[in-house]
Amino acid sequence: MKRTPVQFRRAQRATAFLGLMMFNLVLVVIQLWMFVGVLESLLDGRTTMAIPAAIGSFVILGINSWMLVGIYRMERLG
Amino acid sequence: MDQQLKSDFPVDWEEDHYVSRREFVKFMTLASGGLAVGTAGLAVWAHTPRDHRTFEAALIAKVADVPVGQALAFSYPQPRDLCILVHSREGEFRAYSRRCTHLSCPVEFQPEHHRLYCPCHNGAFSLEDGHVLQGPPPRPLPEIMLEIRGDEIHAVGVKKAEA
Repeated sequence: MKRTPVQFRRAQRATAFLGLMMFNLVLVVIQLWMFVGVLESLLDGRTTMAIPAAIGSFVILGINSWMLVGIYRMERLG
Repeated sequence: MDQQLKSDFPVDWEEDHYVSRREFVKFMTLASGGLAVGTAGLAVWAHTPRDHRTFEAALIAKVADVPVGQALAFSYPQPRDLCILVHSREGEFRAYSRRCTHLSCPVEFQPEHHRLYCPCHNGAFSLEDGHVLQGPPPRPLPEIMLEIRGDEIHAVGVKKAEA
């Protein structure tokens, strides 16, 4: 069965959306891992990891926010 | 109540509420924000200066009570905080927490090796700055800051060392 260009575009967009969601999930898991790592190292008396992890976490937040804004824009454009 | 239950757990699949993809991304971004703020909070907490904590000064002993090569156990700042005062060389007093940083066994002074020794797992700490010389302890011993006032030795603070 041949798909119309509209259906094809829709399927393409759904795949892209799924990819974005998985990427989003992976980033949040990395953030969680960093948070737990910092907590563990602090309880062990080491503080060197805290600032790089916080910077990394904010970078990930920036990426996630950028993706969320992109998704809203994609929906608005239809 | 019954209506709410039926709405939350419908019999037919079509009536179920699905989390839309946009809602999912929104929730994940929110969680991401929470984790970023939490990690930043930990970083701020980690870099808040707490290394030299000063407490009310407490008299430990008179200088004459601790001859060279001898040690004295005391508690500071709380009665449960066991510490050890060592007169290692003439006029040189050092005091550390007595609690081993491995599993909290009390450390003891070994004048022949010029070190503090934990008999539980063969851990040893330097008398100079409390750093780990051997064994499983992960961190140096916290140092008790001392002040000699006339012929009296006073504890004035706790210096926590980095790993």
